[in-house]
Amino acid sequence: MANASSNSDSSLKEILAVFRKEALGEARSQTGLMTAGLFGLVAVVSIAFAAYGMKLAGTLSAGLLWVALMFSASLTLPRAMLQEEETGTADLLRQWSRPHPVYWGKTLFNAALMTFEGVLLAILFVVFTEQTPASWPLLLCATVSGCISLAGAVTLCGVLVARAANRSALAAAIAAPLLLPLASLGVGAMRSAFGDGAIVQGWQLTGAMAGYATTLLAIGPYLYAAVWKT
Amino acid sequence: MLQADGLGKRFGRSWLFRNLSFGVEAGEVLVVRGRNGSGKSTLVRILGGLMQPGEGAVKLDVGDRRRGLSLCLLEQSFYAYLTVAEHMTLAADLRACEPRTKELLTKVGLADAAAKTAAQLSSGMKARLRLALAIQPDPRLLMLDEPGAALDEEGKQLVQDICREQATRGAVILATNEPEEGRLGQRVLQLG
Repeated sequence: MANASSNSDSSLKEILAVFRKEALGEARSQTGLMTAGLFGLVAVVSIAFAAYGMKLAGTLSAGLLWVALMFSASLTLPRAMLQEEETGTADLLRQWSRPHPVYWGKTLFNAALMTFEGVLLAILFVVFTEQTPASWPLLLCATVSGCISLAGAVTLCGVLVARAANRSALAAAIAAPLLLPLASLGVGAMRSAFGDGAIVQGWQLTGAMAGYATTLLAIGPYLYAAVWKT
Repeated sequence: MLQADGLGKRFGRSWLFRNLSFGVEAGEVLVVRGRNGSGKSTLVRILGGLMQPGEGAVKLDVGDRRRGLSLCLLEQSFYAYLTVAEHMTLAADLRACEPRTKELLTKVGLADAAAKTAAQLSSGMKARLRLALAIQPDPRLLMLDEPGAALDEEGKQLVQDICREQATRGAVILATNEPEEGRLGQRVLQLG
């Protein structure tokens, strides 16, 4: 019993250490925030200019916001895994740690970063396109749930391709089946949040996204453990 | 402590080495020698679990690998944005051991560089940081891959001192072509 408790304390400490390392790296380089921030801002401002003087339909708004979220995620999140392999620091983690804590530390950081970026992007989108969401709580919950799912999916994709020789082709092949169901759920939930669908259905789809995120987060550590030393 | 049975590694169609069998016990220093490209670094990576062998197997009896086994690799990169002290803390948190930052940095001659980021270190300073990180958990088995390659005479003496100390509490596998370091070994494994 005491042994199990000490093991979980050690795992928690490892997860926090990896999270802190990622956060320090991001705070000092600001690569992820700058890339995603610049892309998000340009996307939102472009949409606002294109739709100037028009009222965007909820369905179209949902689609455009999701495109911006997905590309922001694709630009920043895979770096967490790929950069370690490219710079050779992944060997440090393999020597000092175990796959599950490393996976959780990186995924939690990605989820936090993506949620921050996503909520900011959603607010900017609403402000610049002069939208009035039918339900703010639904829009925020759908954004947060979608961002955590995106972080889970993109991190998982990064995990699987990080040590592959032909990363780009493999990443596309793995990302498509992971992201398409998520996009379908996310667009549906946000469409309701923007007033083009029943609010109840929006909440159901947000719940489904949370379930999808849970599934991805549950299988991620085991897949990472499988590729840890291959 | 370590038993390698029939180890082999192949790149493409040619074997780098084959049928390597040896063991290392506590108190021993095993020196691995060989010309450039003979597979010394590859062997250390395989023994350390960072690379899969093409054939054969490695059995390790060092307890928790994170603390029981330490590697000091020739081409080990660091996190460019983390300081020397932050590397020590990160390693200690992950390995669940004491950081001993001040003690170890003083020992390897990096006490004044604790606040420098890895990107600001010279190759010799990086080699010293690798040594500090390698001995941090008091490992049972220490594997060093050409640890003196980027070091000055004082640094090379430090490597020898570390190997002698380590042999009193565990074992050392030392891949080197340096004659002075080679004399530390009770046994020599010749590759190539």
